[in-house]
Parts: sequence; structure tokens; C-alpha cells
Amino acid sequence: MDEKVAVVGINYAQGDDLGLTRERLCFQTVKGLLVQLGIDRHAIDSFILASNDFLEGRTISNVFEDGPVGAYLKDETKVEMDGINAVVYGALRILEGSYDTVMVVAHSLCGHQVSPYLQVQYSLDPTYDRQLGLLNELSGAALQARSYLRRNGLDEGWLDQAAARELAAGAANEKVTRPLQGMDEGKVGSSPFLYEPLRELHCYPPTDGACAIVLASAGKARELTDKPVWIKGFGSSIDSYYITHRDLTVSSSAAEAARRAYAMAGITDPEVQIGLAEISGLFAHQTPMLIEALGLAPEGEAPRGFAQGSFGREARLPVNPSGGALSAHPVCATGAVRVAEAFRQLRGEAGAVQAGEPRLAVAHGQDGLCMQQNTVLVLGI
Amino acid sequence: MEGLMESYFTPLVPMDFGYQYRLGAYLERYLDGLRERKILGVRCEGCGDVMVPPRMYCGKCRRKLEEWIEVKDRGELVEFTVGHVIMSKGKLSPSDPYIIGLVRLDGATHPLLARIQGVEVSSLRPGMRLRAHWNEAAENDYFVLDHFGPE
Repeated sequence: MDEKVAVVGINYAQGDDLGLTRERLCFQTVKGLLVQLGIDRHAIDSFILASNDFLEGRTISNVFEDGPVGAYLKDETKVEMDGINAVVYGALRILEGSYDTVMVVAHSLCGHQVSPYLQVQYSLDPTYDRQLGLLNELSGAALQARSYLRRNGLDEGWLDQAAARELAAGAANEKVTRPLQGMDEGKVGSSPFLYEPLRELHCYPPTDGACAIVLASAGKARELTDKPVWIKGFGSSIDSYYITHRDLTVSSSAAEAARRAYAMAGITDPEVQIGLAEISGLFAHQTPMLIEALGLAPEGEAPRGFAQGSFGREARLPVNPSGGALSAHPVCATGAVRVAEAFRQLRGEAGAVQAGEPRLAVAHGQDGLCMQQNTVLVLGI
Repeated sequence: MEGLMESYFTPLVPMDFGYQYRLGAYLERYLDGLRERKILGVRCEGCGDVMVPPRMYCGKCRRKLEEWIEVKDRGELVEFTVGHVIMSKGKLSPSDPYIIGLVRLDGATHPLLARIQGVEVSSLRPGMRLRAHWNEAAENDYFVLDHFGPE
């Protein structure tokens, strides 16, 4: 896709407990972005919220966000999914021609408000899996992790390396407020087991967070910023609902989502053409698994390469210089944060975590048990 | 406002209620089978896959599945995890270690997620043979098929 829809601004906050109500968090995030862009809410044609009624504990919870985000008496809609899907939705709205500007606001407060595991728990079949009580987000991820280790001939220590590598990157990122200093392999490997082989520090942390993103049509984008980041392509795909019907050693839906995004972006050799990746790996094995699914490394090379640092900040293809979702996972906002991180990398504004001068980046978001649903976005400057 | 920022507190707002879902014909027939120590699945005419527990449609072929077959109450371990926590209402609490495994029953294509007992964790291997242990006295039909243990 040529220069038709751009990301023109981002603002986000994430941390263990931000000490705010959801209304104030959303207000501050949106207001900060409007001020940054020098506009007010009337410059926004359409608002798309990404949040989860279950995690809010109230139905149609978005209507109570309309005031804080400035969407009252304006066009507002919602996705009950990861925020990267709200970005795709916004791009579609602009491409369709009825809107020139879209504000995406994604948030959740699982750091202090409610357990992040509930949204997956209550997506399970109530008359079967929830009756047996064996399957949950963590036990499912553990089965996937062990399947992946076995397929690639890796031991459990590899998970410690992979997690430590993400957490060390997160420690350098001022946008991650979780205390991550000194999270080395030893510390990861001595954190308690939840479901083997997954230890506590192999798993994402409960996180508060919100992310606001403004999208604009080509003409509007150039009015709002000197450095628009263009959406080149996007794709989504979903795997079978039942994990027993899937091959847990690979993510076929992430591969399909990437194939669609690359086709739209005209990318034929992602490993060579992409200069940066921000990937939502919620458990230590998932980012390497997704590097493979997104075609960013030759088959079989991602697991060892990732753990040993070959996708680090200095690499030709840095992956998650932000610290990824292992450093902060505000459910619903995480994929939007990946877009935001890719945005500041492409603009050379990532400060301490800036990874070279990428021109083309890929951002990824996921939903569901064992990353059932995947969305891939290609961004370029 | 700044003073207020420091004083946000978090009252507990409970939600405590139940839903009464109907099972539907497929799961009812599966549970009826368990009561007779039979494990029932359905076979897809298109791809030949045999699914346990039975599903009404094949995701691959989009066909309605109507051929019921009984699979064996024994099979092989595909993968496993050892739980050190129990998750209840989203909260984790510590637990003595317990094993959950994917077991592919003889005659089935897709594995069944089940509790595994009577096996040392260190001896667990994919391909290991296991058999069902039944508990007809279980109060809840779901737990008549209690766990899998060594064949």
C-alpha cells in the first residue's frame, strides 16, 4: 500500500500500578497526544477504543470512557481485542473515505484492578474446559512452551536466556516502569515454577497501561506532522479455537497474518527488507516462535539466535528493543504499544533504546489462548 | 487534584453469580458414554480425523460430523506440564505439583487434555503408554474419567 494512511502521533504509559483511575489514565494519555500534535478533540473524526468489558467489570464499558477520551457527541466505536486491531480498524475507516483522522485508545488495568488471566479463562468453553479446570492461559502456554522446546532441541535454561534478554532490553526503556534492573538469567531461572517449564519470570507481568495513537489520511497526515509513519500493509489470521486441534510447535496464524501484511506492503523478503520488529510475545518462548512465523529468520535459527542476542539493538534486524510484552503487558494495549514503539524507532525518537535507523518495521499483536489470533502491521517512513 | 491522586483507594467490588448453560447434544452424548466407561468421538468423512471430545463440525473441512465412534481408553502421551499453582477466579495459589498431559487415545487423531497420576515426573516422555482410570462414584459426570496412569 502506498502513502494512504499514516500514524502521526503516539502517547502511552505502562507500569505495575500507575496509581490512576482508568478515566484519568485514558484522559491523560489522549490529552498528552492532542497537546503534542497541537490539536483539540474536534480535529478527530472517529474514536476507536480497545478495552475489555470483562476486565472492567462492567458492560459496554467504553461508554464511560467517551468523556475522558473526548469522544462524546462524536463517532465512537470499539474493539474488544488487542489494540493493534483497533489500528487496523482505524486504517480501514480512513481508506474507506469517510474519515480523515482516527484516535485509537487502548487500555487495561490488570496491574492493580483485576487478574489479567480472567479474559482468557472466561473465553474457554464453559461446559467443558472450565468444568475440568485443567486448562488456563498459563497451563496452555506451558504446553506450547514445552512443545516448542522439544521441536527445537532446547533445554529449559534456554527459556531463562530468552526471558533475560527481553527483560534486559526493558530495563533500558524509560517507557517501562516495572523495576527490571538486574533481571539476569540466574534470577529468571530461580523464580518459582508456575506450570513447568514456565517460571514466573518467563511469563508477562500483570500491568496497568494505556496507549493512544492518531491515524490520518495522506493529506491530513502531512498537515499534522513532518514525519508521518506510513501503514504499508496489515493482515490478521486466527487459528482453531481448541489447542488440541493445533500444532503447538508453530504459529500458523501468525505466519498467515504476516503473509497477508507482506503481500499488501509488497515485501518479498522480510528477513532482508524489514529493519525492526516489535513482537507481542507473552511468554519467553513466544517471541522467537513469532520471529520464525513472521519470516524474520531462516527456519531453526531464531531460538538460539534470539537467546544469544543476535536480534539485539545493534543487530541488522533488532527485535523488541523496547523489552517487549515480557517487560510490560497492558492487556488490550500491548499490540498498540508495539505500533507506538515501532513509530518512535522509525522516527529516530526512541532515546536510550533507539536501534539504528530502521526504514521499515513490523509490529505484531495477539489475542487468545496460546496466541490463537495474530495481527501483523508493516510500517515505514 | 494532586492530593486526590495520592489517595486513590481500591474497594473490592465482587461479582458472584452462576450461569446455567445447556450442554448440547454432542457433549451430552459424550458424558453419557463416560458413564458406561466408553470414550466417544466423531470421525470426519472428509479428512478422516477423529475428535475427542466430539465436535459438531470439522474446522479443516467445514463438514458436519455425524459418524460416532468409540475410541480406546488407552493411548500415548503427546506433551505434558507440571502445575505448581492452581488458578481460581484468575488468582494463583501454590499447590503440590500435579501433572496435566495431552493424551492421544488409540483411534483418535486429536489429543485429550487430562490429569495424569501414578507416574514419576522424571519418567514422563512423549509416546509413553497410558490408560484411563475411572471413578463411577464421581459426583460430577465430567470426572467419571478421572485421570490417566501407566498402562
